[in-house]
Amino acid sequence: MTPAPGTVCVEMRGIWKHFPGVVANHDIDLDLRHGEVHALLGENGAGKSTLMNILSGIYQPDAGYIRLNGQIVHFRSPAQAIACGIGMVHQHFRLVEMLTAAENIHLGWNDTPWRITAQALARRTLDYCAEFGLHVDPNARIWQLSTGEQQRVEILRVLARGARVLILDEPTSVLTPNEAEELFRVIQGLAASGRSVVLITHKLDEVLAASDCVTVLRNGRVVAHSRTSACDQRSLANQLIGQEFVSRLHRREQAPGELVLDMRQVCALNDRGLPALRNLSLHLREGEILGIAGVAGNGQSELAEVLSGLRRIDKGSIKVDGADLTRSTPVGFVNAGVGHIPEDRLGMGLVSVFTITDNAILRKYKFPPIARGLRIDGRAASSYSQNIVARSDVKTPSLKTLVRQLSGGNQQRLLAGREMQVASRLLIAVHPTQGLDVGATEEVRRVLMEHRNNGSAVLLISEDLDEILIMSDRIAVIYNGEIAGEFDAAQAKRAEIGLLMGGARPSREAA
Amino acid sequence: MNASPRSGLFSAWQLRRRADVPVWLDLLARLAAIALALLLVGIVLKLSGLDPLALGRKALAQTLGSAYGLQQALILATPLAMTGLAVALGMRMRLWNIGAEGQLYLGAFFATALALFVEGPPGVMLVLMFFAGALGGAVWVLVPALLRAYWNINEIITTLLLNFVSMLLVTHFAIGPWRDTGASILSATRRLPYEIPVLGNSYLTAGVFIPVILALLLNLILQNTRWGYEVRVIGGSRGVAEFAGIPVLRHILLVMLFSGALAGLAGMIEVSATAHRLSGTISNNYGYMGIIVAALANGSPVGVLIAAFWLAVLLNAGIVLQTSGLSVSAMLAINGVILIFAAVGEVASQYRLVRRDMAAASEPATSGAGREAEPVLVSSQDMEPIPPAEKSPR
Repeated sequence: MTPAPGTVCVEMRGIWKHFPGVVANHDIDLDLRHGEVHALLGENGAGKSTLMNILSGIYQPDAGYIRLNGQIVHFRSPAQAIACGIGMVHQHFRLVEMLTAAENIHLGWNDTPWRITAQALARRTLDYCAEFGLHVDPNARIWQLSTGEQQRVEILRVLARGARVLILDEPTSVLTPNEAEELFRVIQGLAASGRSVVLITHKLDEVLAASDCVTVLRNGRVVAHSRTSACDQRSLANQLIGQEFVSRLHRREQAPGELVLDMRQVCALNDRGLPALRNLSLHLREGEILGIAGVAGNGQSELAEVLSGLRRIDKGSIKVDGADLTRSTPVGFVNAGVGHIPEDRLGMGLVSVFTITDNAILRKYKFPPIARGLRIDGRAASSYSQNIVARSDVKTPSLKTLVRQLSGGNQQRLLAGREMQVASRLLIAVHPTQGLDVGATEEVRRVLMEHRNNGSAVLLISEDLDEILIMSDRIAVIYNGEIAGEFDAAQAKRAEIGLLMGGARPSREAA
Repeated sequence: MNASPRSGLFSAWQLRRRADVPVWLDLLARLAAIALALLLVGIVLKLSGLDPLALGRKALAQTLGSAYGLQQALILATPLAMTGLAVALGMRMRLWNIGAEGQLYLGAFFATALALFVEGPPGVMLVLMFFAGALGGAVWVLVPALLRAYWNINEIITTLLLNFVSMLLVTHFAIGPWRDTGASILSATRRLPYEIPVLGNSYLTAGVFIPVILALLLNLILQNTRWGYEVRVIGGSRGVAEFAGIPVLRHILLVMLFSGALAGLAGMIEVSATAHRLSGTISNNYGYMGIIVAALANGSPVGVLIAAFWLAVLLNAGIVLQTSGLSVSAMLAINGVILIFAAVGEVASQYRLVRRDMAAASEPATSGAGREAEPVLVSSQDMEPIPPAEKSPR
């Protein structure tokens, strides 16, 4: 059966999904049609991924139903969904790094021949590559492939299993602009072959460039649905963030002060022992925000770790206020007035099973007044914690509340507040608004800006180019462990930054 | 197509994890679980033609109901509490010391060696034996601790395997070089010349205070000192500990050594207060039961005291019932049933049952701002999927 393009293939009706304390999906209706690219647009936390995880069998809805070609279906697992022709490519790839592309495509699949050889798998894989117009080296191991190629393996994996509905979760977040364009061409081809493609994204230009129709989600509800041809950037943006949103960021006009961070020619390895930072130099003055723009995995994590004593550097030097911290420890950086809001909020920043107070004192428990000899003074700890909670506006019933009971926004405010207490000189903020909703994002940005206005230096590492453009005084682009270019934020051009993020050679005059 | 709409009785209800478990609820759940277990056991006994009520009355009378029974329970609870503390300390850092059994043997071994071959004033000797016992336990866990700290080799395996070695080592000395040649005993050393003093006109020795003092001390250290804080941070999240610059490896090493020392002390108390001779059976599986104690106490030092006493009563009640015609295996089965129920009760108290359709409908629709005001009840260990934080990749 090859249904006519334009007929409805998937109907989702009245979908509710509830997580403790959050309604991720609030009575959502959605139609997917054959031969159409359907963009699902929304901020982080709007419920896009949850909805598609329901469609692909990862979650079960609390209420509502799904019809596939008119028949009600209920998927209890992704395997059942893909058996019915619905497949999802996740933002975080689910590939086995040590296996080849061909092996990954054939892994856990009933159609994989009972007797296999490497050649047979490679041949089958090449057939699929040809069929779907996606090219990968079947014998390359996953870790040898670029993220773009890994994504192609993921897509092939799903298509080979006969997917008629292909869901792509923020597929371009790991791609360079060129790779993204190529992906869009592939998507158009798949739609032309009668498949239905869902493109989850929070980027307006992607919606306009690649989709036929668009559904906008906000706070777990559908707020708009329209043909893409009837939309423009402005209308989508309004639907995306809602009308009530007004930015309150206040950037005080001030000349940068003394040199705080002086980082020269630093080289460091990543966890796999490969070069992550290559002769990277940065400097940062009092009262300025330096934004580091770049596609994920170009050395941002390692840069933050090097600047807080968490990663050894092989070459180069790091000075804060003239003091040499090249071989210093995390405690040494804290003592020098460097705070760090890590990207992994609950893996590195906060202990989820601890109380607010126990988390708040993490940077100060060794020092009076919280430390009294070997003891920890409970009263001093509480008052220190109370101070952070009050200043950063953490909403909590009590200081004894466990961090895991706080919302993401409150967790982040607690973390930011704690680190800003230490960061009298320099604050390193890595993806500080990741996963937060619009209100919490704004709040965190405001706090960071205030910190800058008060004369501290801020290093802002973010994948969100808009965030970098809004917040920064200066912008540096990181690519492949090197600074590919540096701009004054006032003169920065989006397009130029985008090119450098994708690895284009820096133009001489920009550097 | 095997996918079908969900229907039926079970779909209407689901378990929801509680954000906070009040103490009263935890206690209530455990008591209810034990009551259920006793009911089940009673039914089985009844069906096999025994009188469960009479048996229960007898067991109670001879354990909690008499001074003698209480004292016996305390004597048995002492080593259980010590090994329980050893395991519980490790649990605080997510380390599993399965070797308390072996460390107990080594603690007893070191204390015995000192008592047999060194002479001195009893007070001084007992203090020295105390430290020798602790040292013995620590020595026995040193290799697993080093392997765990620096090569990340699983401590569960290494500590477990060393148990058999230490048991055989002690047995060798007890039936070989150190055997009591003056008496007809074939498999133990001579009676040790130094004993922990008896309390007044009772069967108890001052040894019963040792776990109590150590539990309170341990609690104080974990809750109120910098070192204890660091240990708790590592246990809570190793990533956070490294982020804060806490020397994780050193703490793993130290905590395992302290854990071993606590178990070693259990051995020292056994040879100098209860058994008075070292033999290959000095531990009645106290090390393994310490794991049960620590698990029931959920790693809390004070909870270990309660759990150890409770387990001791249970074990002694079993001995009483054996005199009433119940077989050893039946007794073990009963103990097992009660322990399993108690453990399940503890877990069950962390959940509540909610109607599925209510769950979605009763939740107020939250806007972005409203959601901030209300704490999100999420647990890191939750089996529920993580809420929809759409993380970008790194």
